[in-house]
Amino acid sequence: MSATLLGLAITVLAYALSRWINCRHPSSLTVPVLLSTPMVMVAITLAGSGLEGYRGASDAITWWLGPATVSLGVPLYRHRQVLLDHGVRVAASVVGGTLVAMVTAVALARLLGLEAPLQAALGLKSATAPVAIALAHHVGADAPVVAGIVVASALLGTILGPALLTRLGVGSPMGRGLALGTISSGQGVAQAFREGGEFTGAIASVAMALAAVAVALLALPLALFLGRS
Amino acid sequence: MSAPQGAAPQLPFLRRLSVLALQFAGLIAIDQVAIVLTPHLPLPLPSNLVGMLLLTLLLLTGLVRESWLGQAAVLFQRHLAFFFVPIAVGLMAYGSLLRRHGLMLLLVILLSTAAGIAAAGWIGARPGLRGRPPAPVS
Repeated sequence: MSATLLGLAITVLAYALSRWINCRHPSSLTVPVLLSTPMVMVAITLAGSGLEGYRGASDAITWWLGPATVSLGVPLYRHRQVLLDHGVRVAASVVGGTLVAMVTAVALARLLGLEAPLQAALGLKSATAPVAIALAHHVGADAPVVAGIVVASALLGTILGPALLTRLGVGSPMGRGLALGTISSGQGVAQAFREGGEFTGAIASVAMALAAVAVALLALPLALFLGRS
Repeated sequence: MSAPQGAAPQLPFLRRLSVLALQFAGLIAIDQVAIVLTPHLPLPLPSNLVGMLLLTLLLLTGLVRESWLGQAAVLFQRHLAFFFVPIAVGLMAYGSLLRRHGLMLLLVILLSTAAGIAAAGWIGARPGLRGRPPAPVS
């Protein structure tokens, strides 16, 4: 019990400190998950509890991923006009982007000789973290590895995505919002709001919710493919 | 909820807290319903995603109003990362895997993320896909 309380206190403090640093130095490199995770790792090691002692706190916090993911229905509903006006374009972009990201990730991973669980984890990486984590056992991947890959992928997409889109001549709020939300989930949505304002951000948040559905649906063929080979 | 003239502009703290608690309870209830529903669905979706779609459906049909859950939902989205930090902390146990394959993983993530962004952006910006001209989003 006390180990659980200690773990909770460490996580809340690390997160609060990370938010504070991110507010003072706003950047993709200071997003709270990137700072809090190593802080918690160091703290539980120094406290002598390690991952074993942290399990209680971890389970207590992770339980909330369910209702937290449910809440993503609100922006999907609030920005439904994007879907009503541009349904075909949004669906084509989200499905196309998700498919390309998944297929290139799995193909490259095979080419480089990475094991099946890593191929599976890489295949899920464009979904928002809570959904990718929930899908991990469906495809035979480990949840922590999936979480790490999702965070790294969202981060790289947020840092490199805007310049890449500009170079490709994608300047419209529609194209940029769809790309950032589909591939970089939460961090991409934040980036879309920063660079393009309300409309781009709205498109990105719709894309993020739909991309999670697309990844979940494509996880079944992915699991079959990896299981057979 | 507009305060009467001369009263404090915000609801008293305790009342705001209980409203928030009720909103969280609502989101938890939807998640629990989704957990029960999920095994009976023909598609293998995770229950949290089923819950998200269920909430969207409830909002679209007007059975649930956005104002009933809005504040809790905004809080969850702002702090979504907090709830998966503990899972990411689990990476501690994968030190040798990261040392062995870290660079290759990074390479795959980099290339496939760039490919995905290019594809989604290219399709999203293509002229000629059916759709109305951009309208201001309410």
